[in-house]
Amino acid sequence: MNADEVRESLAFSEYARKRAREDMGRPWLALVLLASLSVVSLSLTDAATSPTALFWVFAGPVGAGAIALYAYRRNRSSGIDSSPLAYVAITVGLLTLAYTAGKIGFAFQVPVVARFGPAFVAAAGYFALAWIERSRMVAAISFALLAVTVAIISFDLSSQQSKALVFGLYGITLLAVGFGLRMSRKQLL
Amino acid sequence: MTHPSSALDDTIHQRVRLGILAVLSESRRADFGYLKDVLEVTAGNLSQHLAILEEAGHIQIAKGFEDKRSRTWVTVTRKGRAALGSEVATMRALLDGIGSGQRP
Repeated sequence: MNADEVRESLAFSEYARKRAREDMGRPWLALVLLASLSVVSLSLTDAATSPTALFWVFAGPVGAGAIALYAYRRNRSSGIDSSPLAYVAITVGLLTLAYTAGKIGFAFQVPVVARFGPAFVAAAGYFALAWIERSRMVAAISFALLAVTVAIISFDLSSQQSKALVFGLYGITLLAVGFGLRMSRKQLL
Repeated sequence: MTHPSSALDDTIHQRVRLGILAVLSESRRADFGYLKDVLEVTAGNLSQHLAILEEAGHIQIAKGFEDKRSRTWVTVTRKGRAALGSEVATMRALLDGIGSGQRP
């Protein structure tokens, strides 16, 4: 085996690895995004009895479950299955951290932590996901979310305005990723 | 003294077999059609490579029916994953050796 053959074999195995990662990864991004949106909404809602809180308690897991089912079916039809363990661990960790950050913020009366703690935790979740996926796109999304959240805090807006901006930010991100998934699916078909 | 290339595993250093293990090491499992498309090989050629890897204990093959279609899923074993890691490390070491002036 000469040097060129060794280089060629290494390059081919790297290509195969990247292609597999690319074909498996994308649907899970939406799952994590939706979970983040849910927990941010839930954590920012003060009273547990609020209809909004109750809505997200049910809507979050149902939505996340629906996307997980979609991802599972898509993986089966595309012919490559990923292990969901890393993604489940990230989503559960993110849920726990975001909820805890929100509750600590309310308990100790630290408005900034109560309002934006979950958003920072969500950004940390995206960084973990970016590392697992080796995805620059996910890393860029996490940087953008973090930057806009910091900007919202620095504007010193009212609680309602801040909530609206944070919800808007996550909503737009979710829609953009959903649209991106739709486009990539069209290319696959 | 042995030549550095003797550390290469004859079963997996072939290009397609290395590709099969690379795909499988990233996933839980992959089906026959997917491997054929990604590695750009014929069905017969892929079958031969899969048989060699299965015989060496690097992969497991499960055949079944889904939606009235036959489907073949391939999974990498722990031994296969370790062999791939070792093979890639050996090839990188060989290239490093070339870079530092040693003859491979």
